[in-house]
Amino acid sequence: MTPQNQSIDRFYTLVLIIISIWALFFIWPYISSMVMILVFAFLFTTILLPGVDALERKIKSRLFSTFLIMGGVLILLFGFLSGFASGLFQQSSDFSQRLAQENYVNELNDLYQRTISSIPGAPNIDDFEKPQLTKKVQVFFSSFMQQILSAAKSGMNFIFFTAMILVFSFILLNEYHHFRRALVSMIPNKYFEVGLRIIHNIEKQMSKYLTGQFLAASSVAVLSFLGLLILNLYGANITLIFFISIIAGLSNLIPMVGPLVGMVPAVLISIMNNLGSEAALSHLMFNIIPSPFFVFDIIFMFIIVQQIDNNLITPILVGESVGLHPMIVMIALFIGGIVLGPLGMLFAIPTAGIIKVIAQEIIFLVRYAHLL
Amino acid sequence: MKALWENLFKNWNRQESLTKTVLKQIPVFHELSDRQIHEIENLCHKRRYKQGETVFKRLAPGEGMFIILSGAIEIFTEDNNDNKKTLAILNNGEFFGELSLLDSDTRSATAIATEDSDLLAFLRPDLQSFSKRSPQTGNKILFNLAKVMAARLRKTSEQVSKNSAELV
Repeated sequence: MTPQNQSIDRFYTLVLIIISIWALFFIWPYISSMVMILVFAFLFTTILLPGVDALERKIKSRLFSTFLIMGGVLILLFGFLSGFASGLFQQSSDFSQRLAQENYVNELNDLYQRTISSIPGAPNIDDFEKPQLTKKVQVFFSSFMQQILSAAKSGMNFIFFTAMILVFSFILLNEYHHFRRALVSMIPNKYFEVGLRIIHNIEKQMSKYLTGQFLAASSVAVLSFLGLLILNLYGANITLIFFISIIAGLSNLIPMVGPLVGMVPAVLISIMNNLGSEAALSHLMFNIIPSPFFVFDIIFMFIIVQQIDNNLITPILVGESVGLHPMIVMIALFIGGIVLGPLGMLFAIPTAGIIKVIAQEIIFLVRYAHLL
Repeated sequence: MKALWENLFKNWNRQESLTKTVLKQIPVFHELSDRQIHEIENLCHKRRYKQGETVFKRLAPGEGMFIILSGAIEIFTEDNNDNKKTLAILNNGEFFGELSLLDSDTRSATAIATEDSDLLAFLRPDLQSFSKRSPQTGNKILFNLAKVMAARLRKTSEQVSKNSAELV
């Protein structure tokens, strides 16, 4: 190819890339849901693939192995969701009933006044403000329940989304090796070995990241469970600790924001259960710091769990699985958050890891281009 | 009824695939069971090379070995003055590039298809992940590979001593 032809070739390639990006920008709103479903299905597949492969070697049937693994996951998922939903519903209805009692409202007002007056520098509330507080709490919980109901209505979308992810995951798990081979067969001979190298490195990166994250999330869940159990021994009266611990572990997958999300249900349930208890209201953390309803104890416990996770568990289990500089991680999280919100933050680090692998392979390719 | 019967037992009289037959002949896969050979077959990638097409060039990073299903491959080196020295011309059932299964070093020679060829690529990343999943089979393959290397080393040593004897 002459230099002039090469320049023309490059020009048309550039025009083609620009047109493709422009077209993608316009069709993105129509395909974004599908892309998200596929991304989730791929992640789900990456997590479950080693299990299906191992089971296939034992029972010699890919389809049956996929059925068993997916069935097990579904049973666990529905067991968790139904258990948590029924527990939370029971908790909320109990609390609403208690809140409706008149004497309880008076007690609540009294406790509120004492709480406020215990805070140094807080203004005294007069009797005029008391009914407003009760009203505020009742309005808050009724609106909270309404929000839950509206969330249930939009839950149909979630169910559809989840069902699609599960169906795609099943297909991907069952046909993964065939899809992979089909993908590899599309690579031109010239780039065959390098292409396979990139695919293998991306798989390795994803697998390492997901395994590390899964182990770190499990550790956070176990530590949170133990922490809440210890708090209960000191009279915190926190229920649903099994579910709270799992939520804390799962929310830990979203860096920086997740750990905060994990402690919210624990704090809410502690307030719900202990409201009305004078002992809980006047509780002192380490016998020094006022911690009404064990709120600061819970926050402190979760901070300790996070510190153990960040400084001990994650460096050991996740290590340098992605090998990204903390600054790049922050930028990736920021961009992910802007583009897709919390979901974007969840995918930001693995995506940045994949981009890093591709960039490394491009550098490698450029270095050996003359030998391909 | 006959159709149902044939459908149920369609695999009974099925011929073994060419890939499987060729794989069984390769010393690297000796003493592997049918099931293990089937697993290896699933790991391999079939590639078609046209006459004159380069499979890999000398000094390019190597990722694995190639097995010839059909066709012919020329292995050669070139010195700084572009003088070509053919090392071997390989045909059906033969293999090359097996050193790259062990390390990620560069290729020691160039391989070019001298006619339209169907090759089977068995790459290092696939062997590594396979060895993690099936350590026993992985060990068997690596042991066979070591045997192939030992045989080649012995042959080279004999050649070197023969050449030195001739020089003396």
